[in-house]
Amino acid sequence: MTFNVSDVKPLINDEFTGEPTKRALQYISNQRASGMPVVGLYCGYAPLEVIRAVGAVPAILCAFADKPIPAAEEVLPANLCPLIKSSYGYIITDTCPFFGLSDAVVAETTCDGKKKMFELISSHRPMFVMDLPQLPDEAEARSNWATMISKLKGFLENTFGTSGTSEGIEAEIQATNIKNRLIRRVYEYAEKKPPLLSWQELYELSYLAQVATTEHLLPIFKEIFETIEERDDKGIYYGSPSSPRVLVTGCPVGGDSTKVYRIIEEAGGIVVAMDACSGMKPFLSDIEEKTGDPIGAVAQHYLEIPCSCMTPNTRRLTELDKVIDRFQPDAIVEVVLHACHSYNIEAYKIMTHVKEKHNLPYLKIVTDYSEGDVEQIRTRVEALLESI
Amino acid sequence: MRIAGIDIGSRTVKLAVLEDGQLILSRNTMTSYNPLATAQELMGDAVFDVITATGYGRHLIKGHLDCPVISEITAFARGARFFSSDCRSILDIGGQDTKAISLDQEGNLRKFEMNDKCAAGTGRFLEVMATALGFTIEEFSKAGLSAGKAVKINSTCTVFAESEVVSLTAQGAARDEVALGIHKAIVSRSIGLLKKVAVPGEIFFAGGVAYNDCVRVLLEKEMGQPVFVPSDPQIVGAVGAALSSL
Ligand code: SF4
Ligand code: SF4
Repeated sequence: MTFNVSDVKPLINDEFTGEPTKRALQYISNQRASGMPVVGLYCGYAPLEVIRAVGAVPAILCAFADKPIPAAEEVLPANLCPLIKSSYGYIITDTCPFFGLSDAVVAETTCDGKKKMFELISSHRPMFVMDLPQLPDEAEARSNWATMISKLKGFLENTFGTSGTSEGIEAEIQATNIKNRLIRRVYEYAEKKPPLLSWQELYELSYLAQVATTEHLLPIFKEIFETIEERDDKGIYYGSPSSPRVLVTGCPVGGDSTKVYRIIEEAGGIVVAMDACSGMKPFLSDIEEKTGDPIGAVAQHYLEIPCSCMTPNTRRLTELDKVIDRFQPDAIVEVVLHACHSYNIEAYKIMTHVKEKHNLPYLKIVTDYSEGDVEQIRTRVEALLESI
Repeated sequence: MRIAGIDIGSRTVKLAVLEDGQLILSRNTMTSYNPLATAQELMGDAVFDVITATGYGRHLIKGHLDCPVISEITAFARGARFFSSDCRSILDIGGQDTKAISLDQEGNLRKFEMNDKCAAGTGRFLEVMATALGFTIEEFSKAGLSAGKAVKINSTCTVFAESEVVSLTAQGAARDEVALGIHKAIVSRSIGLLKKVAVPGEIFFAGGVAYNDCVRVLLEKEMGQPVFVPSDPQIVGAVGAALSSL
């Protein structure tokens, strides 16, 4: 799948085009060189505003490659989610450069596999495990999570010898909102038929926007909007007006599992929206401002992330409805990583919901990071697109 | 106009040519290490105006023949309707994969399921087990049909099941009872897929394994639905591909 003209200026036009990890690595290295401590994370529940308010820079740790999995399997069971195996493999083979730069790690009690994996890596770095409430709509959930966030703040302050203030967190909340609104403005161009950006560009933007501050992103956004408005003026678009539009949901997808995006495009579809944590999920909503209780506002915001570790996670369906309304997909593909029970089981609800409420064809793909199942996935994806 | 379809599967390559709604040519051969050469050889002197490729190797041939391709799932959906004009549930057990498909009244794809990436519960599984028991494929099916009871096979993995069979026979289990156990195992795997998609009424059974009477009989019994096997169950995908050339 390509643009309708050649030599299109990339959305983020720097020496790292096509290499979001390297871009993030350079950014974090620079921040660290300027004296900022680095906090490694694995999950969308890590409250970035608090990490920033104590003067640290967040780093997304490596979890998306097949390469370190054999090393991980010397310790971990083979029948475990590849994201967890990969994360662990990176640590024990000492090949995650972000972990190398991290001064501390934030972990959450999301799924069982991650929880137990964190125990195994806890001796490598100062680590803070946040006890995530899993019934987010219970009355105590918000206050318990707010307590965890306060404790995290204390842990980071002690570890780094810095301090964060309420005003600082409030300022970070407002900065996040500015960033998220700008990203959502970019998404408006993915909503167009045909879209003006590729999935790679959306993916790269998510990757950078999770680690970089709003202040640092503003000039980049300025360029992004120039580029994209120019595309609009010149009638440049991605794919073709007849390409089926695909929304990809489910487990986080990155690195080696982006094979699924690739296969969808090779089969003639265009990925217009990716609603997982690795895609659009972190940017789709705002945090309440000026509440007088910024930690409470942050707690509320993160508790609303519709991850399958929550129950009953009805928010996943209402959020999905919004994404479907915005991006107007012709088909839904759900990516479930091997042995991820929560997303796998929840997939049944998602399938029923999108078929009954939206009358959209749905395909669940259970996969890992290897290349071994590419042809099997291709057959399924082609059949899905042929049925539209 | 003569329309053709070629189905390049993991174990066999099939060619179908249709003219005026009639199947006028049907050929198949084993896939070699070079499926492209096998396909070319199979097409040999066959005469047709257009061709569409399907099956595992479809993309391989696409570049050489400059022909359209469709997935096996769509091909089986179309092909099944050629042999049975109102069928709605389809089971295909091929060399290395199993598909269960359901169609709506009009013949549009409704739902489908495929087996995981391993060969458990496919034609290859049956071949390996028949060999382990010292049967030809034909004898194997007959032995299963004649057995009074079945020895339960617990492993689903082809490799583990093979060693399980070897140790069962070493312990003195009757060969035909083990054969029935294996057939039951493959049927229960297929039913797992089929139950997710099937609608009431006849089940259209395609693929090489459809020649196996023991599988067919067990399938009928377990599903409680009639099972129809077309005269040439292996050609269904190629016929479906041919039909989509129009
Ligand atoms: S899917 Fe759930 S567990 Fe995974 S990163 Fe997102 S919020 Fe965390
Ligand atoms: S994909 Fe599923 S199993 Fe894997 S880390 Fe995320 S929630 Fe856990």
